[in-house]
Order: sequence, then C-alpha cells, then structure tokens
Amino acid sequence: MASPRIIMKLTVTAARKEPGDVLVIDLKHPRKPVLPAFEAGSHVDVHLPEGKVRQYSLCGDPTELGRYTIAVKRENDGRGGSAWIHETIAVGSTLPVSAPRNHFALKPGEGPTLLLAGGIGITPILAMARALTRQAKPFELHYFTRSRALTPLLAAIGSDLPGGNVRIHFDDEPQTRQNIAALLANRSDDAQTYYCGPPGFMAVVGRAAQHWPKGTVHFETFQPPEFDGAPPEPFVIELAEGRVVEVSAETTALAALRAAGVPLMASCENGVCGTCECAMLAGQPIHRDAVLSKEARGHRFIPCVSRATGVLKLDL
Amino acid sequence: MTWRGKLLHVHIAPAASYEMEELAQAQLIAGQGIVGDRYYLGTGTYSARPDVREVTLIEAEVLDAIAQGEPRIPGFKAKLAPEDHRRNLTTRGVPLSHLVGKRFRVGETILRAARMNVPCKYIEELLGLPGLYEGLLNRSGLNCTIEVGGVIRPGDLILPIDE
Repeated sequence: MASPRIIMKLTVTAARKEPGDVLVIDLKHPRKPVLPAFEAGSHVDVHLPEGKVRQYSLCGDPTELGRYTIAVKRENDGRGGSAWIHETIAVGSTLPVSAPRNHFALKPGEGPTLLLAGGIGITPILAMARALTRQAKPFELHYFTRSRALTPLLAAIGSDLPGGNVRIHFDDEPQTRQNIAALLANRSDDAQTYYCGPPGFMAVVGRAAQHWPKGTVHFETFQPPEFDGAPPEPFVIELAEGRVVEVSAETTALAALRAAGVPLMASCENGVCGTCECAMLAGQPIHRDAVLSKEARGHRFIPCVSRATGVLKLDL
Repeated sequence: MTWRGKLLHVHIAPAASYEMEELAQAQLIAGQGIVGDRYYLGTGTYSARPDVREVTLIEAEVLDAIAQGEPRIPGFKAKLAPEDHRRNLTTRGVPLSHLVGKRFRVGETILRAARMNVPCKYIEELLGLPGLYEGLLNRSGLNCTIEVGGVIRPGDLILPIDE
C-alpha cells in the first residue's frame, strides 16, 4: 500500500486567471512557514467537497519552501472538480491539500534533458525546467499549444527560465511549429526525455520515442490510457493469508477488497494516483492504470481500475 | 499517594490524515466525542472492530522521553510535537496507563479509560518517521469514553475519581 500522506488545510494567497481557462493558485500554510518539501514532477491531492480528490502537479520552484503553486485548467466536460475550483476558489479560501508525492521525478545525471509539454501538461515540466535551470544542467523545453492567446504560464516561463532553452510551438503560427518525431529522431548520448500532455500528444510522443533505450523516456498522464474496451469479466483475488475474494464484473477489485474487510487507502479511484497500489504475487493481471512502470507491472497492481483473468494472488 | 495532573493541549482533526488543529477550548459530548473531531464526525481511519475512541490521550512525559532518544531504536530519533502524535489530549502528571477501567476528571468533564491506545503503522507512514511505531509501543496513551460532557481548555486540572 502506498503511504498515506498528511492533509493540510492551506490558504489560497493568490489566484489569477491565465489564458486557456487556467487558474493559477498559490497556497501557503496558515501557521507553518515551511511546507513538506517537494521535487520537480511532484503532484498533490486536492480534496474537494463530497469526497472528490483531484491530482495537480506543482509548477512552482521546489526551492521555495513555503509555497505550493498549482495551475488548474477548467475542464467543462470533466468530472466537475476543476469547474468547482474555478467557481469557488479565491484569495483567502481554504483548500485541503495533501503532502506531495512524485511519480515523475528527474533522474540524477549530467546528460541533456529534453522536456516536452502539451497544453496544461506544462505544469510538472515547468517545475522540472526550474530545477534544471537552478542546477545549471543542459535542457531544452518544447511547449506545444494551440494558440498564443490560449497558452497559460507564458509569463512565468519568460521571466523564470533562460530563453535560449525554451521553444514554444503554436499550432496556428506555422513558423513556430515543430515536428515531434524529428525532435526525437536522434538521441544524443545520456539524454533523457520527460513529457506530459493530453492523450493525443502523449500518443505522438510515445510513438516518436519508441527507439529510445529503456529507462530514458519518462511521462505522466492525467487520464489513464484508453483501454482495450473489453467488457469487465469477473475474477478472483486470493489474499496472502489464503482467503478468496470474488470480484464481479460490476465492481472494482478495490471495492470488493474493501467489502471483504481489507483496509485499503485510495484517492483518485481512476488509476492515476497510485494510492491503492499493492504487491502482486501471482496471476494474470489486466493493468488499466497509468501509474505503474513496465517493470512494476510484473509485481504490482492498482486495484481501483485494474482487473485480472482467473485467480490473482495479492500480498494483502 | 494520589496524583494531580494538567491538560496541556487539545487537538482535533476534521478527517483521517488531516493535520491536527489546536483548540483553545473544546466541547466534549457524552458518549460521542469532541465536537469537530474525526471520531465525533465518523470520518477517522480505524480498524473495523467496534471500539472506543471518543477521546484519546497521551502523556507529555512520553513525548519528552522520545525527544531525548528513549527508547533507543536504531535509526529512530524524533521530536514529536503535540500536533503530530494525533491524540486529542496531551497531559502532564497523569499516569495514563494506570487508569484503564477507571474514571477521572478533565476540567468539568468526566472520562472513563476504556483501553490502552495501540500505535499503528499508519501514523509512522503519515509523518514519515520510521521507528515511531516501536517508539510508542506500550505508551501511546489511552482511549476513553466521555461519561459527563462539557467544555475543556488547556490548563484544566486532571484529577482521579476511582483510586
């Protein structure tokens, strides 16, 4: 089980609208000058009314110890979390926010770093660019957006990052366009790539980076990848103690485990946050999460979305 | 010889995993809990077994000992602030572990000690303090029911009823 994290009722100290229907929010602790530390790539859980939880990447500078900054794009056909934030949050509001967690950390090393962001996927990438700038390490940031007038965080990028490392590509300004496959065609020695963005962008970059060696390409998705569409089938979970829990086609493994009295923490229940992650001992899993690495898929399992064929043995 | 203790701090958390918040005064409701606290609201993290958790208490003396490095657990050194230990009441001068089954006064209220508190791994992970679980074993305080409710404040006297 992933560790629980402390939840703090933080105070909104700034909230400004940016292009692209994005609200950039600064958060501070009402009593403590220092917040739990974070590294570039980290996200926090924001706790909304009715038990909803949403993950947002921290896009500020990790060396600013007393402040978290998140950028929330309003998704009108989303699940309602971002709309609530846009309509409700203002300076002085209180927002319950978890301590940060990082599934998208920069690897140590001196090699060049290629950072690719699509739209609001800029948020973790911007924190990475800030960290690399501070460490004086070589990097290139490519920010792909539809149009200058809909691009958030341009001012922060302009003021906080060295201009020579940044290229911004607007779909509607042909002279700024960049072919992603060409960008990734030749990998220089020791280079690492990090990318984040909407599903179409993720698919394009994923295809273009296929020839990069294992362990050199890193990404974070906001939504689980589209799965094969096969209807859910019932399966069986065997616990370490030997007890058997049946998972019907209509329920999730997480719900079935909880109903059987197995205490499991969960947060997004959407396969992206990793809170309910558990160890897998044997079986044929059908992974439907967006958290586990290829390597982890051999021995870890995300019960809020993933399923299995036959009997799956979990270390619970 | 009897004892006479003092209430140092009152903390509540609105739900599981939330930071504890210090109160200048707290309303205890008989048979239920502290108004605003996770166990009063039913939003806490706890095992499914039926149990008593209306109010939890811990001795400041235990926190002092931990800060001084006792017990000596390899790799464990922690200073636990009153808002970190996740018990509701921090006491001084009260032999909590002697009170199981007995009643005592906290200010104008009367509590009955139901059982010794058992530490959990959850708090260790929540605070990122490996070793804290062992550090609190056998001295992580008391779980009590509220027999007579009322308002309590830091500084209130804590006095025995059943000797």
